[in-house]
Amino acid sequence: MTAAIISLSGAQALVTFTPEIFLGLVGFIILALGTFRIEKRIISWISFGALGISAIMVFFLSPVGKSLFNGTFQYSDFGIYFAIVMLLSGMLISYPATRSIKSKSEVFYATLLFVSVGMIFAAFSYNIITLFVAFESVSIGTYVLASFGKSRRNLEGTIKYFFTGTIATAFILFGASFFFLQTGTFNLQVLKSASPSPELLISLVFLIIGFGFKLAIFPMHQWALDAYDGTENSISAYLAAGSKVLAFLVILKIFLVGFSSDFRDVSYLFIILSILTMTYGNVAALSQNNLKRLLAYSSIAQAGYLILVLAVVGFVGNTNSAVVDVAVAAGMFYALVYVFMKGGAFITLNLIKKDNVMISDVSGLAKKSPATAVSFAVMLLALAGVPITGGFFAKYLLFLSLIEGNLWWLAIIAILNSAISVFYYFRIILYMFGKDPIPGESFDMSTSTRVPIYASAFITVALSVVVIWWPSLISMANGLFG
Amino acid sequence: MFILILFIIMVLASLFSFAFTDRRREYALIATAIFLIATIVYSTLRFSTGYGSGGFRSESVYNLAPSIGIAFSIGVSGFADALLILSGIVIFIAAFIAGKHEFTQTMYSYIMITEVGLYGILISRDFLFFYIFWEVVLIPVYFMVAQYGGRNKDHVSLKFFVYTHIGSVFLLLAIFTVYAYHYDATGVFTFEIGALMQSKYIDMIPTALRYFAFFGFLFAFLVKMPSFPLHSWLPDTYETSPYPGTVILAGGLSLMGGYGLFGILMPIYSSLGTGILQLLVALGIISLLYFSFTALIQKNLKRMMAFASAGAMGFVTLSFGAGLLEGTKYTASLELAGGMFQIVAHGLIMAMIFTALYFIKISTGKETTYGLGGIYREVPMLSTFLLAGLLASLGLPGLAGFIGEFSILVGSFAAIGWLILLVILGMIVTASYHIWAAQRSLYGPYNENLGKIADLTPSRFAILIGTFAAIFILGIVPNLIYGILVSYVGGII
Repeated sequence: MTAAIISLSGAQALVTFTPEIFLGLVGFIILALGTFRIEKRIISWISFGALGISAIMVFFLSPVGKSLFNGTFQYSDFGIYFAIVMLLSGMLISYPATRSIKSKSEVFYATLLFVSVGMIFAAFSYNIITLFVAFESVSIGTYVLASFGKSRRNLEGTIKYFFTGTIATAFILFGASFFFLQTGTFNLQVLKSASPSPELLISLVFLIIGFGFKLAIFPMHQWALDAYDGTENSISAYLAAGSKVLAFLVILKIFLVGFSSDFRDVSYLFIILSILTMTYGNVAALSQNNLKRLLAYSSIAQAGYLILVLAVVGFVGNTNSAVVDVAVAAGMFYALVYVFMKGGAFITLNLIKKDNVMISDVSGLAKKSPATAVSFAVMLLALAGVPITGGFFAKYLLFLSLIEGNLWWLAIIAILNSAISVFYYFRIILYMFGKDPIPGESFDMSTSTRVPIYASAFITVALSVVVIWWPSLISMANGLFG
Repeated sequence: MFILILFIIMVLASLFSFAFTDRRREYALIATAIFLIATIVYSTLRFSTGYGSGGFRSESVYNLAPSIGIAFSIGVSGFADALLILSGIVIFIAAFIAGKHEFTQTMYSYIMITEVGLYGILISRDFLFFYIFWEVVLIPVYFMVAQYGGRNKDHVSLKFFVYTHIGSVFLLLAIFTVYAYHYDATGVFTFEIGALMQSKYIDMIPTALRYFAFFGFLFAFLVKMPSFPLHSWLPDTYETSPYPGTVILAGGLSLMGGYGLFGILMPIYSSLGTGILQLLVALGIISLLYFSFTALIQKNLKRMMAFASAGAMGFVTLSFGAGLLEGTKYTASLELAGGMFQIVAHGLIMAMIFTALYFIKISTGKETTYGLGGIYREVPMLSTFLLAGLLASLGLPGLAGFIGEFSILVGSFAAIGWLILLVILGMIVTASYHIWAAQRSLYGPYNENLGKIADLTPSRFAILIGTFAAIFILGIVPNLIYGILVSYVGGII
């Protein structure tokens, strides 16, 4: 009887949104707790727990294989995977962020939870408008997160982030409307055969510019440097990890599902963009002495590797082929490892008490605290793609898919790029292990700094065991196409 | 199964070494000694039952992800077994000579991780794990140089890592190429080395991509050897690295390149084509000549021996190319077995020379020819050992170095004809700078600026006499491993 009433009122759909509703409720509770002057540590643990519980909810409660509202939301293992990855990135920063928040911690953590709600929606959505709304709710939330902190420099980065984000939004909306003009619907899975009409091309270009801004791919990357540089470390970690994974996911959906896969222009565009992005990011990082900007450039380069997935899939065309599955699985795995290696690397900067972190500031870290030095080195090695870290396996799978998709030359370019990147990652390692500590300077060794570093380094290495689950990852990958 | 258990113990032991706050040297010494003895016992048992055709004994396979062909599969051939013993010895020497006072505790962990990587390379029969261990070796060696190195250590260690890493990534691409086309041919995903490295599959790859794959393999292997155009990391790294690191580089890391050629590429020799083989012959001869002449003008003994090491590896490249060019002639197996023997002999000899140089450096603080001089008067035992090492390195009959060079020389004549004169020229130059170095630094008038210096302690004496005994025994009874190498070649060709 109850079930009948629920289905009558259409409320059945709401049941599947339990994780989102739960997170939102906890967000409001945290806001309320703020009035009671609860300590920020407790609030951070509450939001950590809430994110963890909602990840578990997403895993167990999502009705796999079901679609809601005429295909607007579709539940598959693929979506669950990405939802959990993004929730994990929120969990990663929730504890270290306590360090940088001076006041109004409840606002910060509530915003973090609201942002996560948007992320879960985006993971399951297959409609250009719901995707846009979910994405925008995340963006607006991250504008707020990015402005937490005090210095003027900080605000400058945030304002740049805000303005470029807003402009990108306009581009996305414009592109979406042209998409509607051609297909007559906002549903992404409608366009089945390629007919490169002018409307579709315009839509493609505008959407790429819009989402390119969000993913910070060359030449739409400039804001990212200032935004990462200007914000607090944990928030840079979130921007570089969680928010970037979201942008990657949305790009996968819009360009691979939305534009029919035999639409070759998508592939060509992304091949060019990925080459430019990787090369620019790596080459520019070479000459950086500012550690945070160096990591920012490196995350631009990493975005270049990520969009290689689109290049392969577009190039192969046939969405049922095994190569496409391997490529998408590579992207999925890369996203997961990326959260911990990049997020962890940014969090590691918490060690340094100064605002403007130079490479020389990590000098002698190995002498003062071998464990943190080794952990940071592990994350840098993972970013460089050196074996026995998860980062190697992520790159490995990616390059494997490139070669299986017959994009040899692109694989060579990518691999040369990853060889270039060794230079600047190892420079940091050299400073940590080879140099003596700067006299008079000390590192921040509080628990909220050290524990997340150890944790992310451990997970980065442990993820290499995931090799055993690749087959299931590959079988999940086809869920992208609904 | 035995080797798998040994390997797992090695991995755990090397990780466990980080738990020690002091006495890590003693721990590393005991552990590496046990590994060495276990390897020797294992090999003796294997040798006594014989390798039959000398091919790989597949020991165990654990499928990790069967649908994409990833398995942890291990197996040892006669050749790999010989190299296992060599790397066991080299690592033990490195751990032994790394003094407590010069190095902090991490050094010993680095040495043990290097051993794990070397063993991993030699026992892996799956390309994925082969590649992983191939890279694992780099990291501890990089840290050794970066942390304990001498002049310019930042720059040099980075150059070493990037150079060899670029070699590795091309190796990875080559592996992918072979993997992808094996799938096209058979419909089976596999990284099994034995399955992928078969001429019938390799020949199906389109020409351009096939050559790309060969390029990838050769690039990675020749960087490690190192061979002529790819050697620029070598002298700097050998010179800057602390001595235990140099011992590992010369004895351990150079065997990786040789193993790559003889262990990985040899089974597909018929696909390589004469062009590539001739190129290898040329590179081998050029390496030998170029490095000999460069060594001639070096004043720093460590740097000179670095070039000597590279020159000796030129013989290996030469033997691989020339031996395979000969095809089925009887000299081919002589030549190829000689090349493999040379890898083993070279590792032992270089380990001994660098060890002796290290003891001289500790006693005198000098490592240049002009800084030393006549030290035989003060330290006769040490000087004799260095001399013995140098003589072995230049190929004195009766010592291990001679066997390899002799069989390569005899074998090459059939393939390269009178070009052999160039090789002989290289050998003459090699002999001359070895003798010159010994004469200038060990004999003649004593350099009084050095003051009073101490000769070998009993433990140092023991490690040198032990290494020399191995070199001497292999020189007198080469068949201890030569026969196995010949049967390994016979199983493939």
